[in-house]
Formats: sequence, C-alpha cells, structure tokens
Amino acid sequence: MTAYRSRALSGFTWLYVVWSLLPVLIAVLFSFNAGRSRSVWQGFSLRWWTGDPNASLFRDESLRMTTVNSLVLAIVTVVVTLPLGTLLAIGLQRWRGHGAGSSSALVSAPLVTPELVLGAALLLVFTNLYGAIPLGRPAQMIGHITLNLSAVVVTVRARLFTIGSSYEEAARDLGASRREAIRLVLVPLLRPAIVAAGVIVFATSIDDFIVSSFLSSGAASETVPVRIYGAVRGASSPALNALATLLVVFSFLGLLLGGVSMWWLRRRDGERVTLRQFLDEVTQADA
Amino acid sequence: MTRRLSRRQFVGRSLVVGGGTIALARLLAACAGGNESTAELVIGTPDAPVTLPTIGEPIADNLPSESGTLQIYNYADYLNPETIAAFEAAFDVKVTVSVYDTEEVALSKMRSGSISPDLVVGLTDSVLARFVAADLLQPLNRSYIGNFDNVIAGLRDPYYDLGAQYTIPYVIYGNGIGYRTDRDIDTSVFVGNEGWSALWNPAYEGRLAVLDSYRDTISMALFRAGVFDPNTSDASALSAAADDLVELATLTNPKIDILSYQEIAGGGRDIALCWSGDMLAGVGYLAEGESPDVLGFWYPEVTPTGNDFFSIPRTSTKPVLAHAFIDYLIDVDNALNNQSYVGYQPALEALTAEALINAGAIPDSLVGALVTPERYASGKRFVSLSPDVDALWLDAWTRFTTG
Amino acid sequence: MNGSQRRTHASRTWRGYALPGTAWLAAFFAVPFYSVAAIAFGSIDPIFRNARPAWNPLSWNFGTFGDVLGDVINGPLRDVFVRTVLFVVVALVLCLVIGYPIAYHLARLRGRTKTLILLLIVLPFWVSYLMRMLAWVNLLQRDGLGMRLTAWFGVEHNWLDGSPTTVILGLVYGYVPFLILPLYATLERLDWRLVDAARDLGASPRQAFWRVTLPLSRTGVAAGLMLVALPMLGDYYTNDILSRSPRTEMIGNQIDFFLNAGTQPQRGAVLVLMLSFVLACLAWWYVRDNARQRVAR
Repeated sequence: MTAYRSRALSGFTWLYVVWSLLPVLIAVLFSFNAGRSRSVWQGFSLRWWTGDPNASLFRDESLRMTTVNSLVLAIVTVVVTLPLGTLLAIGLQRWRGHGAGSSSALVSAPLVTPELVLGAALLLVFTNLYGAIPLGRPAQMIGHITLNLSAVVVTVRARLFTIGSSYEEAARDLGASRREAIRLVLVPLLRPAIVAAGVIVFATSIDDFIVSSFLSSGAASETVPVRIYGAVRGASSPALNALATLLVVFSFLGLLLGGVSMWWLRRRDGERVTLRQFLDEVTQADA
Repeated sequence: MTRRLSRRQFVGRSLVVGGGTIALARLLAACAGGNESTAELVIGTPDAPVTLPTIGEPIADNLPSESGTLQIYNYADYLNPETIAAFEAAFDVKVTVSVYDTEEVALSKMRSGSISPDLVVGLTDSVLARFVAADLLQPLNRSYIGNFDNVIAGLRDPYYDLGAQYTIPYVIYGNGIGYRTDRDIDTSVFVGNEGWSALWNPAYEGRLAVLDSYRDTISMALFRAGVFDPNTSDASALSAAADDLVELATLTNPKIDILSYQEIAGGGRDIALCWSGDMLAGVGYLAEGESPDVLGFWYPEVTPTGNDFFSIPRTSTKPVLAHAFIDYLIDVDNALNNQSYVGYQPALEALTAEALINAGAIPDSLVGALVTPERYASGKRFVSLSPDVDALWLDAWTRFTTG
Repeated sequence: MNGSQRRTHASRTWRGYALPGTAWLAAFFAVPFYSVAAIAFGSIDPIFRNARPAWNPLSWNFGTFGDVLGDVINGPLRDVFVRTVLFVVVALVLCLVIGYPIAYHLARLRGRTKTLILLLIVLPFWVSYLMRMLAWVNLLQRDGLGMRLTAWFGVEHNWLDGSPTTVILGLVYGYVPFLILPLYATLERLDWRLVDAARDLGASPRQAFWRVTLPLSRTGVAAGLMLVALPMLGDYYTNDILSRSPRTEMIGNQIDFFLNAGTQPQRGAVLVLMLSFVLACLAWWYVRDNARQRVAR
C-alpha cells in the first residue's frame, strides 16, 4: 500500500489551522491589553477583566445576570433534551406502527432548518398563539430545547445502530423485562453518545444567539452572545474581547467536562479511552 | 439510515404531519381566544393640537415612594450612569435600564407584554398616539413633579399632549450632518439647504452613514429636494426620495445605523446624517488626548426638529418612584450632569444655548449643534402617520435598504 | 401473550417512548411553522399593525403574499434574493476549495499527527461564531492588525466599508469548519483499497484522485454542501457584524428587519415562507439526486 505523504497538503492544512485559530488567539490576547487599542500591544493588564471600575468585566453587575442567564439556559437545555431525545431515538428506531415515519420526518426537519427560520417561527407563535408563555427565559428555554432535540436524536440513533439489539435480547432471555433491559443494558451502552450529545447541546446553547435574541424580552433575559452581538457593532473596548473569551471558556469547560465524564465512564466499565476516540465520537456525531 | 420512500408513502406522511399540525394549531387558537382591538388614534399636529383622552386615573397624591428596583426602558447610552447612580443613592433604590432600538419595537414589545417597564424614556409624538390608543400609558400626577416649571415654556403644553397629561419633555434636537474637521470634508457646501448633498458626494464613499430611522433619513432626501414636509403623504415625492436614496447608496455605500455618535468621534467614519445631540455626545468617545475641535456639525436652515419625553406605563410597579425620577432629571443641575454624557440638550428653560456654553458644557466647535429658540420655532416636527401613509414611507425605506 | 400480541405491545411501548419528544416537536416546531403561514396569510390590525393570524386555511388571504411576491420577482427584493444566492454560492465554492484538501489530508493521515490536527481542526467548532467574527472585526477595523498588514503592502483598503468581499470572506471563515467535518467523515469511511487498486492498474496519483476518490466522495460532498448551504442562506448576522450596508443586504436581514424592528410581521412571515420554500426545494433536489445516485449504483 502506498504510504501517504503530501508536503503540499500538510503545509496547506497548517496554514488553514493558523488562519482559523490565530485571529481568535489575538482577540483573546488583546483582552489583556493595558490600553484601549486592539492592535497595538500596550502591555499586559487585567484592567478589562477586573481592574477598571467602570469598564471591566467582573465589576459589571449586569454581566453577572447575563452570564447566569446563559448558564441556566444551557444547563436546563441539556437536562431536558438528553432524556427526551434519548427516549425519542430509542422509540423511533423500534417503532414499526403507523405514524413512525411521520414522527421521524418531524425529527429530521429541524436539522435542515436555518436558525433564523426557527427563531422567526417561534417568535411569531409566542406572540400570537402561545400567549401564556411569556417571552424571555421561558420562551428561550423552549427555543433552545427545540433547537437541540434533533441533534441529540441523531447522535444517539447513530450509536443505537451500531449497538444493535443483541445485548437487549440477551438480557430479555435472561429474564429482564423490556424496561429493565433498556435501563440496565442499553442506556449504559449509549452513555458515550449521550455524553457527546450533552457536550454538543451545551456548547450550542451557550453560543446560541439567534433564538435567544429573537425570543428575548429585554435586559433581564439577555444572554452573553446577545450582549456581545449588541456591542460588537459599536465602538468596543477590549472588555468585549474579554467577554467573548469568557464565552469560549464556557464552551471549552463543557467539552472538558464531557471528555472527563466519558473517560470516567469508560474507565468504570473497564475500557480505555483515548483522546482520539473522544474526538471521533464528537465529530461523527455531527457529521 | 434512509429508506426509499414510495410516492404514496411520502404523500401520506405529508398529509398526516400537515393535517395534524393544522388541527393542533386550530385547537390551540380556539383555546387561546382572539385579540380584538378597537382603538381610535388621536394625533396632534402643530396646527391642530389635541388633548389626549384621559384613560384611567393618575395615582393618588402624597403616596410614599416605593423601594426596590426601578426598571427604565430607554435607548442605549441615553442616560448618564453617574446621574442614575446619584439618583440611586438619593432614594436608596436600584435602577436597571433595558434598551430598545426603535420606538416601533418598544411599542410592539410593550403591547405584547414581553416587557413591563416602570418608566419609558425617549419616545416621541410619532408613536404617542398609538401608545395611548393601546392603553399603555398612565396619566401623570403633577404633584410629584415639582420641577415642572423648569421645562421650556413652549413645551409645557405641547400640541401632541395638551395639558401634558402623559408626557414630560426630555431633550430637544434637530437633524443635521455631523462630520470630522480633520478629514478632507468639504465644508463649503454647508450653507442654506445645500449641505444635504454632501452625503451624495462619491469622495466620501465608505466613510459615511445615515440614520437607521426611516422617518429621519427619508425626510433628509425630501428636504434636499425642497419638499419641507416630514409628514408628507405625496406618493410621488416619496418615490423620488427613494430614488435619491438609492442613488446615494450607489454613490457612497453608507452604513445604516444609529452609532454615529460613537463612530465619528472614534474615527470609524467621517460624515453622517445625525441628530444634533450625537455630536455633543461624541465628545465623550474621542481618543485620549484628541481635541473636540475635530468634531463639527452642520445645522441646516430648515430641518426636522423635535423633542422626546418621559412617560410612565400603566402597568408600572413603581409609579411614585418613576415620577420622582422624572422630577430628578428635570432639575437643572442634574440635567446638566446628564447632558455631559448624553450630549443632547435638555428641554429646560434655564439651559439655553448660552447657558450651556457658559457652563462649559459645549466645546466651541460644536456651538452650532445647539437648538436655539429660533431654530426650534422654524423647525419641522414629525407627527404620527396614518397607517396607509406609513406604508408608503416603509415601502420607500425598503427600496433604499435593499440596495 | 402470543406473538402478535407481543408485537403490538412492543409497538405500543416504543410509541410511548417516542411520544413525548414527538409531542414537543409538534407543539414547538410544527405549530410555529404553521403559525408563520397563518400570519402570512392572515390580516393586519390597521392601527397597531400587529398580525392577526388566520388559523383556518379556508379563510386565508393572499394579498400581502402577492405583493411581496411581486417585489421579489420584479422589485427591490429581487436584488436581495439574487445577492443572497450569489454570496452563498461563491462562499460555498471557496469553502469547498479550502475544505476538501484539508479533509482529504486528514482522512489519509495516520498516527499521532492525525489526532493533533484533528483536534486543531475541531477547535474552532467550539469557539462561538460571534467570537470568531469579533476576532475578524478586530483585525479589520481601522486601527486593526489587518489594516496594518495591507498598508505595509501599500494597499489602502478599508475592509469594513461594506464590500461584498468582506461579507463573503466572513461567511467562508465562519462556515468552513462546518464543511470540513462532514467531508472528513465521508473521506474517512472511504475504501482506500480502491484507490490502491487504481494505482496498481497504472493510474497516476492525480488520475486516481480525479477518477476514483472524487466520484466516490460525491455523495458526502453533496451532503456537506447541503449542511452548510441551508444555514448560510438564512445568515444575517455576518452581514450585520461585518457590513451593514445596503450593498450587502441579505434575505435574512430583511426578515430580521420586518420581524424585530417591529413594523411588519406579516411581511416578515411571508419572507420566512419564501425562504423556507427555497430551502425545501434545495433539500428536495438533494434527496432526489441522492436517491437517483443510489439507484444508479
């Protein structure tokens, strides 16, 4: 077999990596700039993070509320979509009756819908039909869950497909009821996919701003991305860079948490897990 | 995992999903009930002032001031954080500010109930009629507003709200062109009514902006063409204005936003259609060490002029505190303090152009941005448009913004 | 229980599992879509101009729809639609040109380098889109490093002055990671022995690529492009952040304006329907093409 080696492509890939990541690194770097400029390095300082009494990130009280909003939304979304989506995936895969196909179609639809369309539709429905659900956090929660449910289903379904039904059948043969088989055999096998789905949902929810901004009701329900979006078009200070860095830190924390959970779960089940496997799980889940 | 669908299956499934959805939606709609609105618009004009219908009762006299958090609904950067902090300290309360981008958004959000502020700042009479018709405002109790006589005499009994039942004036302003004096802006055109054409100058391509407000920007095109009516219902004039604006877009590729107060001072753009207060506010956004002389403002002979106001929503949970805030802001010293950040001229009798200059609040280069009584008298006011006329204006705006 | 009873019982269990999720999607996805139609074909309150949806399809009024359609076919909205499609097509081509070689390289790599590069490629995925756009705005502003770089080359160019190039490049920068991953997934699953076989039969590396690898990856490429084209067509924030000029107005901006600037929800709803229709056509074409591919093979 011809060994693969291509210096041109290797160089190109590295160039891409630099182009892709360098601007972000620079932005993060300049959040620590001592001056107001975002291109002239004026020294290292935590001024925009905690130092400056007016403009810094952590001294800004409204920011606390914004960050809490983002985190609450993300956590609630994960907590609701994971069980709902897993059940839906299991049910859809096995359901052979009438309506299964329609249900499957309904699940696939959000995946091909741009967020703008979903946000617009939700805004219109909350202001014209579901009047009982106020805009702001309740509406945003529902929006985030709807946005992410199908992603969970897809991720879990892929794993279900590879697992097959032999383990469950073995459990049934040994006397377990259907529900016990699912709970004690299938779900543990699905854990990596569920964790991967959880990581993706958390990151999507933290970074989301279209649905959050369409369904927001003012300052009280602002999330971090909405705030950044509002500020990025004006004359911004490095404090904005700091805020955006915070956002990135949150997604990475979610990723880290997921990775650690997966490692711990696999370890408990006696398997070794490599970084590579984790990456594969996460990328396959999205592709 | 895809299975090949037969046509029959596909049609069948579509019908199931579609039919089910429609049935569900209609069921939910029936449960929700309808939303009827039978309302009359009472619109005042300078020639035909109106007394707005008194809907509801003002709050009783001598009530104690509430504690807690006062929620203000306002434009961005339109109240001095220092002034707010001083109010918080004086009354031992907290104040939060929610931001709206346009009055239309404020109207629709307050109507749908998605936001329930205690005080609204910055509305103009373009939307006042609809706010009143939608039952969103409460009549004010003047006994809480002792500083009322500080207000400019001509605005104590405004045409849009005779008797000042619902509104107290906040700031006054006029439309004009703000620019930087240290870039190559040709200031010789800024005479009479000619200056508007500066925005059509292709030499300023990419460094120029107009306001993200359809009334203001379309009026600019109308005034340039000699149609000095910012409320015109003349379809051909509006169409010509739209054509002119499309020409402007082609020639100079303008930005469309309300950020010129930051951007001109910050150096991001050199010339823009803006409100007079924008340039005054811009002083606070200059780079460190830069002199205010770099900012300039052209105030045309005939231009839209206006004022906005404070108003208190019917559903305000802290009405006494809201009244107190209004009273606080129309105190001369507090208003001066507020002005130093916001830039716009407070609508107070004592704060004439001279007084502001004497107080050192206005840099020499921007004296031209002040609204003198003469300018105010000769300015044209925006009033509410009837829905069909408004539709004409919005169509013209769409033609411009879609390039 | 006998066999068929057990099957029915099973079916009911699975249906029970699937029901909560389906009900959720019915209530918060299907019904909202229907309400977009109900509003688009409903009426408008004359004073406050808020929408009065018409829930019964039989009472739908197509007046506003007709107006907007007229604008799209022969009015100001035509330029916006055409421009949006143009931007997306150009951006997709660029994404493919950049993304395919990288996905290919990654798929063929083995060993620890592969993990490292995979990690670096996946990383932007976890960086918020806004942060990446903000990073570019920082670079492209008047006092930004990007400007300094081009000035050093002697070119005086204001990147943020509202040019279509900036917006397209912004779209490419933003969406290329979303294309690389599905491409990588496809190429990773490719049977490389076929390529080896072609080489054994005398094909040069280039021929092997063009005649074996590329056709084999065709479905994956189409799927990846679809996955990226759909959100890109509804994009409005890239333009908002990088430009805000009428010259780069996209259909998403118009929808955002009509709905969030509060003035014309009905027009917004009509535009949403039209955009959805275009997307549905695209998806339909893709599915048909995919099915035909499968039959052909």
